[in-house]
Amino acid sequence: MLVEHARSLIGITDASHAEYGDEGTPVITLLACSLQDQTITVEVTRGSRLARLYGKESATERTTCSYGLAPSLQHIAHEHGMRVAAVDETGEVRAIERVDHPFFVGTLYQPQLTSSPGAPHPVFVGLLSALPPGSSRLSADTQLGNPG
Amino acid sequence: MPTVVVNVLIDLTAEHPYHRATLNALQHASSHLRIATDVRVIRTDAIDDVDDIVRPGTAVVIGPGSPYRNQDAAHEVVRAARERGVPLVGT
Repeated sequence: MLVEHARSLIGITDASHAEYGDEGTPVITLLACSLQDQTITVEVTRGSRLARLYGKESATERTTCSYGLAPSLQHIAHEHGMRVAAVDETGEVRAIERVDHPFFVGTLYQPQLTSSPGAPHPVFVGLLSALPPGSSRLSADTQLGNPG
Repeated sequence: MPTVVVNVLIDLTAEHPYHRATLNALQHASSHLRIATDVRVIRTDAIDDVDDIVRPGTAVVIGPGSPYRNQDAAHEVVRAARERGVPLVGT
């Protein structure tokens, strides 16, 4: 999502992900300290969609990520309609969202790994809740038992 | 009952725990909201037409497990969802 954002909106037409090789401008780079199979605490941006979904200021999440937004390009996560939705304990971007879109959320952690039948993850509830009226929704209670 | 289509782009095998966790998380959310979902798993190298995936009334999940088999196709799906206002989450 950040590579597409960089290419289409920021103007870094050769934006690349370091995992695919060393061509282009690496927007996504290897983390100095891998977060592979780690549990992290994310601080959610006040006023963001993600904050409304979580209903709290921080959350514990699991991550399998070894890559993240390049330190020198952290600023692009809050430009051209994108907004930082969460950061980790080091202050680096861990979630993004668009302010001009019904639901466009990216996480540099894996919310599906903390979801459970009794506590569905807010990100996935938010995704399905964003579908337009007239869907098969019978009722929607978005007050969640948050994981983490 | 009408059903909501959720297209899941993921290259990990169906047996991979992150693949299973992604589908399970959708099931948890759909049960919570009482929404019937038709979840369609698509490998990035099997994307023929972005318009089939990014349609009004559908949602898109970009699953974990990069590098993707077809990174450019994944980017096209992201771009189309952004431009068309189709709900998308990338994990």
